[in-house]
Amino acid sequence: MKTIEWGFLIVSYLFLGGLSAGLFFASGLAALLQKNEQSGTDRIARFGALLAPLPVAVGCLLLVFDLGKWYRFYKLFLHFEWTSPMSIGAWLLLAFSVVSLLCAYAWVPQEWRERFFAALPPRLAFLRRVNRDFSAWRKPLALIGLPMAVGVGIYTGVLLGAVQSRPFWNTNLVAQMFLFSALSSGCAALILTIIFSKGSPEVAELRLLYMLDICFLALEFFIVVPYMIHGQLSVQAVRESLHLILGGPFTVVFWVFFLGLGLLLPLGIEIRETMPALLRNGRFHYNKHLTAVTAVLVLSGGFLLRYVFVFAGQMSAFK
Amino acid sequence: MAARAKRYALVIDARKCINCKACVVACRAENGVPLGKSRNWINEEIRGEYPRLLATFEPEQCHHCQDPACVRVCPTGASRQRPDGVVVINQSDCVGCRYCMIACPYDARFFREDSGVVEKCDLCASRLDRGELPACVETCPSKLRVFGDMNDPSSDIAKLLATRQYRVKKEEAGTNPRIFYLL
Repeated sequence: MKTIEWGFLIVSYLFLGGLSAGLFFASGLAALLQKNEQSGTDRIARFGALLAPLPVAVGCLLLVFDLGKWYRFYKLFLHFEWTSPMSIGAWLLLAFSVVSLLCAYAWVPQEWRERFFAALPPRLAFLRRVNRDFSAWRKPLALIGLPMAVGVGIYTGVLLGAVQSRPFWNTNLVAQMFLFSALSSGCAALILTIIFSKGSPEVAELRLLYMLDICFLALEFFIVVPYMIHGQLSVQAVRESLHLILGGPFTVVFWVFFLGLGLLLPLGIEIRETMPALLRNGRFHYNKHLTAVTAVLVLSGGFLLRYVFVFAGQMSAFK
Repeated sequence: MAARAKRYALVIDARKCINCKACVVACRAENGVPLGKSRNWINEEIRGEYPRLLATFEPEQCHHCQDPACVRVCPTGASRQRPDGVVVINQSDCVGCRYCMIACPYDARFFREDSGVVEKCDLCASRLDRGELPACVETCPSKLRVFGDMNDPSSDIAKLLATRQYRVKKEEAGTNPRIFYLL
């Protein structure tokens, strides 16, 4: 009766939810570090805040359509079960979505806002009351949202890690692995946005994003390695479940496409690009195409990590 | 003195099983289980080569664990444990997320596409409430299933558990299963 119950909808949701958390995290951090409107991190904070609600909204739609009957999703919000990671996650997602939407609104440029409210039909004129400058709320919202973003990033891992009957998942490392992967995918998405938006990217922007991404990718790497070592030293069921990525069906995806191309290669490129600027006060390398490829690799690595874990985990079991 | 709480459980003497599948058929009829899915099943294992053969049959279904993982992970409380230990699903609260199916170490649950909810053995809870036995227990021709209240010392099941050796499956998953297989 062993079947794969959670497929690509869930994989995509875990990726998109994490991506939103990562976007909000980088944006919130940049907003809190920001000294004035002209400082170099302004665009990170703005783009991150504007983009953050989108992936999680799409992800939640995927989640809803993965249910047995999509219209029953509201029942999740009629209950709170504190022992169920999914129930905690559903409420957390709701709160995070609201905060990230408010935060996005606080960051909407004034021209966009004016144009939108000018185009409103007279019937909806009462909405004009919210046509106000909420930029003073940016930092408080970032402060409220940051722990929620971290929570969303962790919870996607806890959702899997808390299942005691799947040895592949049931370790204390999956949550952190997913968190750092989520945060790094947020940085990568911001790098992509900034290099393809109008105006050339500034050194301060790229340096902050690269530094964050290097930290997150390195942390992720140093969680993936002990995950495998510890698993090999664990009980038989865990050892057998690790065979799924050590010789089993997910070996190539995990080692070549996730760990190699999706984690170590972009980490290496980012370190190579950043090091001169850090060590010798030298110039920051910048090659638009290389930067774009690196960011895409990080994003695909984040997706593949979730793909491997969701599928391999469901195939693992006690004998 | 407070009355001792009931704790329904199932003892299975798998060596008596002849793989006739009457239990599976009885369950299907009693609970309207759709074809292709099953609330209970028989694990078959054949070892060796002719003429030195060993065939073992082992009936299995929801283990009605004392610490059910499915109940813990259910986001709406649709999966719950009755005071008598039977783990049931309230179909009107089930959203069909299938987290419980992933959490069950025994793969005892299945997803029903037509209704969009998860189903499994509930030890024929409605029959229990009428004072009847579960359909699989009643129908088994080899009488290898013993059902009852393991907290009642005078019950057959309590006597068997007190005097016979038994094993449970996948104890290491930590859910405290309540199907006992006699050795």
